[in-house]
Amino acid sequence: MKAKTRGFGTVYLSLFFVFLYLPVLSVVLYSFNASRSTAQWTGWTLDWYRQLFSDRAIVEAFRVSIVVALLTALLSAVLGTFAAVISLWVTSRMKTAIQGMMILPLIVPEVALGVSLLFFFNAMRLPFGVLTLVLSHSLFCVPYVYIMVRLRLQEIDRSILESALDLGASTWQMVRTIILPLVAPSIVTAALLCLAMSLDDVIISTYMSGPRSTTLPVHVFSMMRVGVTPKVNALCTLILIGTFFIIGLSQLITNKRRFAK
Amino acid sequence: MSTWKRNLLAAPVLLWIGLLVGVPMVLVVALSFLSRDNLGNIVYQFTLDNYRRVLDPIYLRVFWNSLLLALLTGVITLLIGYPVAYISANLPPRRRALALGLIMLPFWISSLLRTYGWMILLGNTGLINNLLLALGIVDRPLPMMYKFGTSLVGTAYMLLPFMVVAVFNSVDKLDRSLLEASYDLGASRRQTFFHITIPLTLPGIVGGFTLVFIPALGLYFVSDLLGGGNTVFLGNLIHTMATRGRNRPLAAAFSLGMVALALLVLSLYWKVSKDKSGEALFQ
Repeated sequence: MKAKTRGFGTVYLSLFFVFLYLPVLSVVLYSFNASRSTAQWTGWTLDWYRQLFSDRAIVEAFRVSIVVALLTALLSAVLGTFAAVISLWVTSRMKTAIQGMMILPLIVPEVALGVSLLFFFNAMRLPFGVLTLVLSHSLFCVPYVYIMVRLRLQEIDRSILESALDLGASTWQMVRTIILPLVAPSIVTAALLCLAMSLDDVIISTYMSGPRSTTLPVHVFSMMRVGVTPKVNALCTLILIGTFFIIGLSQLITNKRRFAK
Repeated sequence: MSTWKRNLLAAPVLLWIGLLVGVPMVLVVALSFLSRDNLGNIVYQFTLDNYRRVLDPIYLRVFWNSLLLALLTGVITLLIGYPVAYISANLPPRRRALALGLIMLPFWISSLLRTYGWMILLGNTGLINNLLLALGIVDRPLPMMYKFGTSLVGTAYMLLPFMVVAVFNSVDKLDRSLLEASYDLGASRRQTFFHITIPLTLPGIVGGFTLVFIPALGLYFVSDLLGGGNTVFLGNLIHTMATRGRNRPLAAAFSLGMVALALLVLSLYWKVSKDKSGEALFQ
């Protein structure tokens, strides 16, 4: 009986992972197809990749995306960590208020957030571009940094902090020499997550992009609307490789303890 | 430091959220009561017209489409995802870590790429049709793209990992001794599953449903690429109204309608789980 259910479990899980990764693998595979159509496989080629680098719109969108993602990750890491660390000092009511506010951008549907920011920046006469992109991306990034850093802070032994103060450290010294080093791995992981989320965002970015500052996903989306072309496959594959590079980095930083238990 | 001074530390955080969520949301509410002229400029005159139009049968249909899509996405991801979470959580440690890694990896993979994968699989010259034609099962390509079902497949596929992770966490917390007690008292596996396991993992189920339902309302690029605009959803409508359609007051009213749908599901979540802030959803 037990062996039978285990066998079923393995089969079910395997089928699930095939389902989960089949679309991804087919995109990668067909980026190497010499034929323009997915109807047939006419041999291997790297031509589609070559075409990417000569497409100036793509290169420019990529540049904007990288700048936006780096700035977003930086801003979010600072603001999210700040919010988590000051939660140690504010009154418990303020702490609850901060918690509630951090959840807000995550539970309001992204389309509604995008539309509201479009109206707001319009009313403020802010030019749409890198600034509006970074500000709007920080909305869904800061909360993740805040949550991850706060979870780490909860693990810190309070007596360490008390002894630091007892030994005459100032509050700032304690933050700098004890708290920040202890939460640093969480900040870095969260910042990498922000980088990936910012690089992947389509919904808010469509509202925030300026005439000469389209992000890569917004550009890719407009390419995809035309239909399936191997050039899009090649671009998607490159983005995938870039993302895996980021994951590799974050895996080096975090230990696997959290998954294995 | 006095409490007042200590709370002053929170000022930058309050400013950030107030400026980027508070003020814009107030603006949306205000806009939804205004009208516009033929050029799409805002006319500062109070009106309830936008809400009247939201209740127009044509537009109610759009609400219904979105609600149906989000509900079905929730149900499908639960039916597929629950067994995945349950089986993975009970694996031996090493394989369990591997399974969890494979479940979470798609979070990092571009959502456009994952949607595009379905265009390649389901298109008329797509891989599935190629296979069916080659095997002689069909003699003409099956039309699978640009239907409500295509949008549903894409949306459910996109959000499936959220459901699995939410259920996984609650199965993980399940006290195994309760299951053993149930068997010892003579309950069958089936009875134990429906009377012990399901009720105890309910917070995970409802949490997962919430996490899936809210984005499903607005993943307009998925329904755009896979559904081809044949079925109009809230996300597509709001996007068109706010940009090319130049009808911002109506877009505002529809956005608030979307927020209302999200709040409806959240209130259910708050009721079932004891997680008041909702933070547990995102851990």
